[in-house]
Amino acid sequence: MISLQTIAGGKRAVLLLLVFLAVALLLLPESRQESLQVIGRPMAAVIAVPLRAMESANQTIDAFVNRYLALQHVREENRALRQHIARLQEENASLRETAVAATRLLDLLELQDQLPYPTVAAQVIGRDPTNWYRSLVINKGRKDGLSADLGVVTPAGAVGRIVKAYDRFSIVLLLNDLNNAITGLVQRTRDEGIVEGTEKGLARIKYLPLLSTVKVGDQVVTSGLAGGFPRGLPIGTITKIERREAELFLSAEIALDADFTKIEEVMVITAPRENAQISANPFARQPAVPVKPAGEAP
Amino acid sequence: MKVFGYTVLVLFLVPLQVVFVDRISLFGIRPDLGLVAVCLIGLYTGELDALSAGFVIGFVQDLFSGGVLWGNLFLKPILGLIAGLASRNLVNLTWVFAFSLIFSLSILSGTVMYVLKAFTGTGASLFLAARDIILPQACYDALLGLALLKLLQRWRAFRTPETELSYE
Repeated sequence: MISLQTIAGGKRAVLLLLVFLAVALLLLPESRQESLQVIGRPMAAVIAVPLRAMESANQTIDAFVNRYLALQHVREENRALRQHIARLQEENASLRETAVAATRLLDLLELQDQLPYPTVAAQVIGRDPTNWYRSLVINKGRKDGLSADLGVVTPAGAVGRIVKAYDRFSIVLLLNDLNNAITGLVQRTRDEGIVEGTEKGLARIKYLPLLSTVKVGDQVVTSGLAGGFPRGLPIGTITKIERREAELFLSAEIALDADFTKIEEVMVITAPRENAQISANPFARQPAVPVKPAGEAP
Repeated sequence: MKVFGYTVLVLFLVPLQVVFVDRISLFGIRPDLGLVAVCLIGLYTGELDALSAGFVIGFVQDLFSGGVLWGNLFLKPILGLIAGLASRNLVNLTWVFAFSLIFSLSILSGTVMYVLKAFTGTGASLFLAARDIILPQACYDALLGLALLKLLQRWRAFRTPETELSYE
């Protein structure tokens, strides 16, 4: 009953052409897909304008919601004191928010001062529009010196790498995404492996030597061998070791140090190879997920 | 006027989803506003409009997504085409039909995205993907699509005199 034959001739040709184009674009080799990004840059520049406007509206809504929440419990207070308390509450909430933001930014500033390589601070303005990838949109792009494959860190440690950079914003693929893979190192045993995301939103280090003495509680850091990270940035702590029969390598589950649901500001390392080693550890070692005490490997 | 409307839609739809994504998520699942929009365009204005809008919306979604393959650029026009073709011989656009169509297209979209993701990364479990992403998102998309459809129908009824109503 429903078929392409019912559509008029010219229209049918356009439809077929567009469908063919869609399939051809999907089958385009990965090396050529960069050209699609080039085509998309002007469009991305235009879309950056409403994006920023919406981000600003989002912050206004945030401020409104926070104020509303702060006022909720005041309803039960004495009517005579309500206005006074409301004013104090509002001021308090505002100061608290400012204090939290100041602490966060101070941590970031300290990190920037202590990191021995050039970095660019950026604000998180959005998240992946689909449910299929774990990524962030940050408000810095090519005009700020960013490009694809640069490493992204927070005071808690490495969080991801840039996969797409446009003029005024970039897309950061998080470490807990299945499609992300960076080289990692177990700090105590010096065993190297590949760190990649899992379905559960955690991370896993693969290809550790079978005879490795790795234990639960060991810290995993970046190895600096490839990608946009220098050696020694904290990634997470090993929580479970997977030793399967007939497999040539070990793998281990990692609780990531950074809480990826609450990232608001990040630092992008723009030249990770200038000084490959960190002299003193500037990162706060506070894993987002509580880790069991160190024990022997199962 | 139509081009202006689509331009506004594209300019605001994806930034809306990117920035306000946490506000519109339910249990960590976000609706695909692009898919819903393309389906509604297909249902209301036909396959050619939906195909063209699908191209642009899919392209912009991929610009903002962490995925390396341009899956939405491929999928959204196809979904628009299917929605448009499905509505060609439709006399009454019932809520059951609209719900089923958006639900099915969302399942199709999710399955293709799963295949594309498995193709580029390590293979995730299809069962987990279906349970955690594909089915909940399809329900959310279909419910949201239905709500928007009802709003559109009310708006059209409000704007069009009763004698001129030929679609609802």
